[in-house]
Amino acid sequence: MKFSYNFLQTFFERKLPQPEKLAQILTMHAFEVKEVEKQEKDFVFDIDVLPNRPDCFSHMGIAREISAILGLKMKTPEIDIKEEKGLRTNDFLKIKVENFKDCQRYTARVVFDVKVEPSPFWLCSILKSCGLRPINNIVDITNYVMLETGQPLHAFDFDKIFGDQVKKIIVKRAKKGEKFVSLDGEEYDLDNEILVIADQKNTLAIAGIKGGKKAEIDENTKRIVLESANFNSKRIRLGSRKIDLKTDASLRFEHGISPDLTEFAIDRAAYLIQKIAKGKVLKGKIDLYPHKILPKRILFEFEKIKSLLSVNISKSKVIEIFQKLGLRVISEKKGKFLIEIPTLRQDLSIQEDLIEEIGRIYGWERIPAILPTTVLLPAKKNLDVFWEERAKNILKEVGMNEIYSYSFISKRDKEIFKFKELVEIENPVSAEFSYLRPSLIPNLLKVIVKNQHFFKEIKIFEIGKVFPGIEKKEKKMLTGAITGNAFFEAKGIVDCLFQKLGIPKVWYDEFQPTPEATQNSIWHLKKSAEIKVNHEEVGFLGEISPKILSALSLKNRVVVFDLDFEKISNLASEEVIYQPISPFPPVIRDISVLVPKSILVEEVLNKIENAGGEVLIDVDLFDIFEGENLPEDKKSLAFHLIFQAKNRALNSEEVNEILQKIIEALESEGWEIRK
Amino acid sequence: MEKINFKKLKLKVEKEIKEAKDLKELDLIYKSYFGPEGTIRALTKTLNKLPEKKKKIFGKKVNEFKEFFQELIKRKSTEIKEKVERELEEKETIDITLPGKKIKTGTLHPLTLILQKVEDIFQSMGFSIVEGPEIENEWYNFDALNIPKDHPARDLWDTFYIKSEKKHPKKTGRLLLRTHTSPVQIRFMEKNFPPFRIIAPGRVFRHEATDARHEINFYQVEGLMVDKNISVANFKAILQEFLNKFFEKNVKIRLRPSYFPFTEPSFEVDVLCINCQGRGCSICSREGWIELMGAGMVHPNVFKNAGILPSEGWQGFAFGLGLERLAMAKYRINDIRLFYSSDLRFLNQFQL
Repeated sequence: MKFSYNFLQTFFERKLPQPEKLAQILTMHAFEVKEVEKQEKDFVFDIDVLPNRPDCFSHMGIAREISAILGLKMKTPEIDIKEEKGLRTNDFLKIKVENFKDCQRYTARVVFDVKVEPSPFWLCSILKSCGLRPINNIVDITNYVMLETGQPLHAFDFDKIFGDQVKKIIVKRAKKGEKFVSLDGEEYDLDNEILVIADQKNTLAIAGIKGGKKAEIDENTKRIVLESANFNSKRIRLGSRKIDLKTDASLRFEHGISPDLTEFAIDRAAYLIQKIAKGKVLKGKIDLYPHKILPKRILFEFEKIKSLLSVNISKSKVIEIFQKLGLRVISEKKGKFLIEIPTLRQDLSIQEDLIEEIGRIYGWERIPAILPTTVLLPAKKNLDVFWEERAKNILKEVGMNEIYSYSFISKRDKEIFKFKELVEIENPVSAEFSYLRPSLIPNLLKVIVKNQHFFKEIKIFEIGKVFPGIEKKEKKMLTGAITGNAFFEAKGIVDCLFQKLGIPKVWYDEFQPTPEATQNSIWHLKKSAEIKVNHEEVGFLGEISPKILSALSLKNRVVVFDLDFEKISNLASEEVIYQPISPFPPVIRDISVLVPKSILVEEVLNKIENAGGEVLIDVDLFDIFEGENLPEDKKSLAFHLIFQAKNRALNSEEVNEILQKIIEALESEGWEIRK
Repeated sequence: MEKINFKKLKLKVEKEIKEAKDLKELDLIYKSYFGPEGTIRALTKTLNKLPEKKKKIFGKKVNEFKEFFQELIKRKSTEIKEKVERELEEKETIDITLPGKKIKTGTLHPLTLILQKVEDIFQSMGFSIVEGPEIENEWYNFDALNIPKDHPARDLWDTFYIKSEKKHPKKTGRLLLRTHTSPVQIRFMEKNFPPFRIIAPGRVFRHEATDARHEINFYQVEGLMVDKNISVANFKAILQEFLNKFFEKNVKIRLRPSYFPFTEPSFEVDVLCINCQGRGCSICSREGWIELMGAGMVHPNVFKNAGILPSEGWQGFAFGLGLERLAMAKYRINDIRLFYSSDLRFLNQFQL
């Protein structure tokens, strides 16, 4: 909110600190001053007034803060109304408030014989400093008083209000389907949630938000009605949202200003109109305020300051701060104060609120830093966090880049990946971010698209939450993507990851999708596998289907592993049990088998392992060969076979015997052993 | 039998060995004396014909010569070997300025690096790590945190709501993406009894226009310490300790007034810009200070809503640290959007 330095100065006899200095003082003790800008002969402060302080949506409010912080005496703006003796407000104006819940207080005055003309220079320049456009002296004065006191005011052209001699103003809800044209010519659709100011025929204003064309002040206006009311904050907030219009008035009302402001503000405005527009203020004012709010009282324990702030402040200092803030100490008994809070300060309701006032006025920088004295319990280890960190480090070490992608996916992603049951955002920032991601895969692929012009080889991963559906729990996934013909590299990485996380017995099962899933699969049907541990699926590994690649304009093939991280985190273990190292030397034999291309390595391995028995401790595939010198439909697989017994040295006859068994087992499948 | 002058022989041998150029020549010299055709071998063959007494004397002399000879050979061969090795090394020079063999490792995201550091420091101070869901409801995100419905304070958090056909329960309200990590405070306090100290890191969401300072999703680390008599002074000390360790030097912080419905008193914590020491630069938006977190003393209503009675004397502080802000200050990054750009040219810089 914008504030004028010159305007603030008018509340003080003494000179205020220099603008930059004043800004710093306010930032450290009240509100952040985001910017100080020189504007003609003034300095404009952009102050971030905190939302619980609507009393400071005004220059008087900020001046009160300055006065409390610096101990400067503050002046009250001048009011000296010479009321017309013969003309009584009551004889010209009647007010009806239909529901005092919507409008706690309505104060009105009538001023005759005003001379509508442009405002004097000083008034215009203050309005301009605060970002308001001068219109005419009457409207400008109502705005000026709002900037000064924080109370929004409105002026109606008395003669444009329906009725002959006596005018009647009604505060009521609008009718459903009612149309309203504002001062600036905009049309709004109203309904009965919206509060309006009306005469007996027309709607004159949307209460607390915007004035209407009907009773607008213009150059011919002679007689005016001034309104200074307090509308219900929730009602104004609702109305302002409904018609999507925020104004200087609605902002103040919806934060809940004190109803005690109306009287001072209307008198101040009437006085300025009398002075500047030469108006004649009618005798008396209408003031409907049936449920007067009373100042709150808070019981305040002096000791609580010490306990909450750990600072030694004397009682007299505390009382001084309270007084500077306009808080009245009513009584003090055994370290307990009874404090009366002025109605302006609706934000103060418990003793912690008062401690905050003491803290900030005294200065947070003066609170010492003291380490707590308490039992030192070590932090509990969080296993999910621990394994997440470990997994990230492993993937980093094997050469992958960690990325953080958005939690959202686009409408287009939904179509490309044929997602169903997505969690949809009701108010997305754009179509790009319409749904919550049900998988990390789409964004990882898009990251590759983005980077593929700069990097030939891309290996990325992410650990993050995905949202499988509104009825389903969000879950943490670990997903990696590697460019190129990289199925086995990805598989190797998954193996390595599982090994380093202490998860044994990982199994890869051929992907057997249902016919419907086949249609919609994002996976290459022949190059994908389910990853299983203990017969439970923990993830998926595979190449992304060519139709997805082309839909996303991916230049290269991409292999993805997609792991349920919660399952993995539960399986992970730091346990290692030492296996005695055999003192007997291993015997290594090589074997090469010619098999049809369609045979999986896994099948050959199984045959070898079954025939080899327990002394065959390891089988290592070291070469796959296809092509030249081989029949077209065949491939050659070469293995190292490692034999070792725990309890004896194997001799060559024994090994040869087992090797022969293996060869027979392989030959029984019709596979040829190459010598 | 020819008389042998061992003295002369020694001199001769000494000369021959000295002149040998390599191991091969040395070997030939050896063979010429002790080989099957060698001088000494021939001599010893005639030895048997000598009388016992002479045999003994001669044998002794031969042995003496042999020892002398072997010692010479040994010394010379060591000398030659050393020379050869030296020459070999001479020949095998490499250009040590050639680049090393590339070992390709990956990178962790800078926010992961920062988070791991934050977690380590807080864990060393006894703070346990807890996590909470990213989809929350209005109760945990707002009401329980003393942010009532229809209150303008809710505007402080621009919220993404989840579309739902179903009517939402009255108490928990609509589903939304959590706008801060503070709901974890409530969830944790519902299930645990003080004293405790926790941090809750996680992703949060705000419905706002993105720019160099704002993102629609970002990370916060919530902190909460509750005990008897925990004060603002304690908060200052813990925070100062954390920041000093984090930045590995003494940093200057300041607390300034702020407003959060769930803390009272509330403040904003700024750290003097690490980059410019307060002179103003692009890291701190020319302000000299970097806004790191909102914090304050837990509001009594928050305790009440989480089922903890403030009358039992529990009090404490809570804070919500902006992880990106911390990372930006640490790595001198001037645009928050880089973190979510997934630009490998950016990510590859964090080879830590």
